[in-house]
Amino acid sequence: MKSPIDKIKQLFNTTPLLAWLLGWLAAALTEYFIGDAVSYYLGLPRIPVLFGCLLALKKPLLIPGATGYFLLIYLLPFFLVARLCRRPANYLASLLARGPVSLAAIIHLALFYLALHIWADISDYRLLLLKLTMVAVMLTLSLNVINGYMGEFSCSHPGFMALGAYTASTVTLRLFADDKLFGAPLLSPALGPYLFPLALICGGIVAALGAVVIAIPSFRTRGDYLAIISLAFLFIVKSLIENLEFVGGPRGMSSQPDYAGLPMVFLGMVSCVWIINNFVCSTMGKALCAVRDNETAAEAMTVNTGKTKIVTFMFGAFWAGVAGGLFAHIIRYVNPGSFGIQRLAEILAMLYFGGLNSVTGSIIGAVSINILSEALRPLELFKWIIIPLLLIMVMLFRPTGLVSFTEFKAEKLMRPRG
Amino acid sequence: MNYSESETKAKKFAVPESFIACIVVITLVVSLGIAADSLAFGRRTIIRIGINAPITGDIPKVGEGTKYAALMWLADIEKNNGIEVNGKKYPVELVIEDNESKAESAVKANTKMITEDEVLFIVGPQSSKQAVPAGDVANNYHTPMISPWSTNPDTTSRRPYVFRGCFLDPFQGPVLANFITEEFKFAKAAVLYDVSSDYPKGLAEFFKQAWEKSHGPGSLVAFESFTTKDTDFSSQLSKIIKSGAQVLFVPQYYNEVALIVQQAHELGWQGPIVGSDSWGSAETVNLCGKDCYGQFFSTHYAAAGAKGATKAFIDRYQKEHGYVPDDVAALTWDSLGLVRNAIENCGRITGRIKKDREAVRDAMAKIKNFNGITGNMTFTEEGDPIKCAVIVRISDKGEYEFYKSVCPE
Repeated sequence: MKSPIDKIKQLFNTTPLLAWLLGWLAAALTEYFIGDAVSYYLGLPRIPVLFGCLLALKKPLLIPGATGYFLLIYLLPFFLVARLCRRPANYLASLLARGPVSLAAIIHLALFYLALHIWADISDYRLLLLKLTMVAVMLTLSLNVINGYMGEFSCSHPGFMALGAYTASTVTLRLFADDKLFGAPLLSPALGPYLFPLALICGGIVAALGAVVIAIPSFRTRGDYLAIISLAFLFIVKSLIENLEFVGGPRGMSSQPDYAGLPMVFLGMVSCVWIINNFVCSTMGKALCAVRDNETAAEAMTVNTGKTKIVTFMFGAFWAGVAGGLFAHIIRYVNPGSFGIQRLAEILAMLYFGGLNSVTGSIIGAVSINILSEALRPLELFKWIIIPLLLIMVMLFRPTGLVSFTEFKAEKLMRPRG
Repeated sequence: MNYSESETKAKKFAVPESFIACIVVITLVVSLGIAADSLAFGRRTIIRIGINAPITGDIPKVGEGTKYAALMWLADIEKNNGIEVNGKKYPVELVIEDNESKAESAVKANTKMITEDEVLFIVGPQSSKQAVPAGDVANNYHTPMISPWSTNPDTTSRRPYVFRGCFLDPFQGPVLANFITEEFKFAKAAVLYDVSSDYPKGLAEFFKQAWEKSHGPGSLVAFESFTTKDTDFSSQLSKIIKSGAQVLFVPQYYNEVALIVQQAHELGWQGPIVGSDSWGSAETVNLCGKDCYGQFFSTHYAAAGAKGATKAFIDRYQKEHGYVPDDVAALTWDSLGLVRNAIENCGRITGRIKKDREAVRDAMAKIKNFNGITGNMTFTEEGDPIKCAVIVRISDKGEYEFYKSVCPE
């Protein structure tokens, strides 16, 4: 006799990713069209924004209503559509499997984006949360390249992020905005949204240059030394910005133009995941793992360890810089205080929670910690007891994180399952 | 495994359609059952006021003061059965959000309160590093916001929907410079401030400008700085003592004030030490002890020797929470008083939140001579209040005594 859980698993194990995405889209559409009415009849004040978590914690009386809403609007359409669409979806998936992977990936991503867009359209709070979560994914993943795949312990990620954030903000404010720090714009503001990716890349490049500054002295040693040098770098960047009057000093920079919409941030995150995943699967990535496990042995096997390490470090820093640029344009305010030890602790928590050496792990870590810390917001102080406790549990039972040392294979994920 | 094989297997172990049908029925029954008893909550017009406070993070004491003042304000309104607008009473609810003393968290909290909780007015955040970005959000959504404690001009500048409850640093700096000139007749001053923190740095610069304007260039004989979390100030203080300064200005927070004043006395500093409104916390005297007795600072209100409504507030706060409220609590109380005044005079609450927010904002901008516990207030076009500063002397018992009041011309 099989347990009910096995039965349910059995029911859905022929469902491909495409059908799950359609289910998710169906859930988003259901909420979009009848969410308001359903929430009204369930006695909820409005559409619950985070699956009812916030409501349930604030007003326990509304728990049944929030649960009912979750079942009706999310769970039901999600599983129903995923189950019903499995045949056509399997057929489509097998068609796509014959073509190039990138085409299949783009179709899946487009579907995913559509669902996210509809879901985020319900409330601006959701939209903001989604954007910040995506930035967190980028940060965690880029730190995973250094702390996970390279096996070093770098503490300078907020510093790279600050470099990226300030560079991108300076570029956009100088070129496209009428700002009191820099005066009238140099280019027409209409060009801004199109050239914004270039500003982000500038931020990334400056962060990568910063990485070279640490890499040259610290890669002569191994182990704790990089941690200390990178920590020092973090402080240097912070006090440098505090003392640079033309970027606002400790007061920070504000009113960056509003370029970081959901499509932009999504594109940034997808290219980050895609490129980093390709990087760690490439020859360079394999060399990197060899360097992590035994540097001398790798050197003996003709791996150019010095070059591998510097390139990787710059690569990780580049994406942290891009993420920083996006962050600055989402919040539309940066100050040096945002890029201190606290930020470092957050990124490290997401990284080790999700798992080292795994693209999937980083995504899971960043998303779960972000959503959790928002969902537990009504608990105020207790939130800071629950989340660290969770981290301790993960470290006790899965010392390398939830999903670690796995490879993220798009083909395998998108394959037909029937 | 090919397609047909897996299909037959699935059929052997479960009947999918009836299973799904079961879920549907159960969900519907459960949710309709709930709907029946929870419809009583309904959707009626409730005035929601958002409080964006640093309850956890670097400055939890500030968050606590904000929260307590807000709860006292709510208790008053509940005693009165709501706020009366145009002859009708509306119930009031507070939405208190923790901003963790972080900029992005303050932005998230504001966005949530505006779009999810549909608050009519937001009170907070307190520190400028959160109030500047959060003010941008409030202004973009056309939601009125008042920051009781933020002194950075950027918080309200070019933002018609953002107000503040305290005076600004460009006012406080000259007030202190003039006070020292008139009170002690000194000509040489020194400043010691935190270069990496927004508030002390701004205030130090405004003080410098004002001092040099009245005493000529070079009259500020030492302008020394340190960075946040430094604990040893002996090299800066030695330089200050050697420079021949007669008075030392320290625009720092309570934890640093204690260290600086004690170290200055150990090194042989004899002259007075003057501070700014950041000294106003009760902790200053607790940490600093006798070294701070007899020193002066400028602030929003003086607790010792207060009269009238100010005294009533202090006594009530002390009775409920066990300590004398600091300036944050008093300013929050006044900001909430302003909010109440604006709502009462907004004309009509329609229940359509966008329209109501506009009406309340307009009523707020029109407030003239609001009589608060931290002084009389009238808003300028920028949403900054014109109000007086209070110079306080720390008495020999460690109490904050009213010394004199300085008003803008």
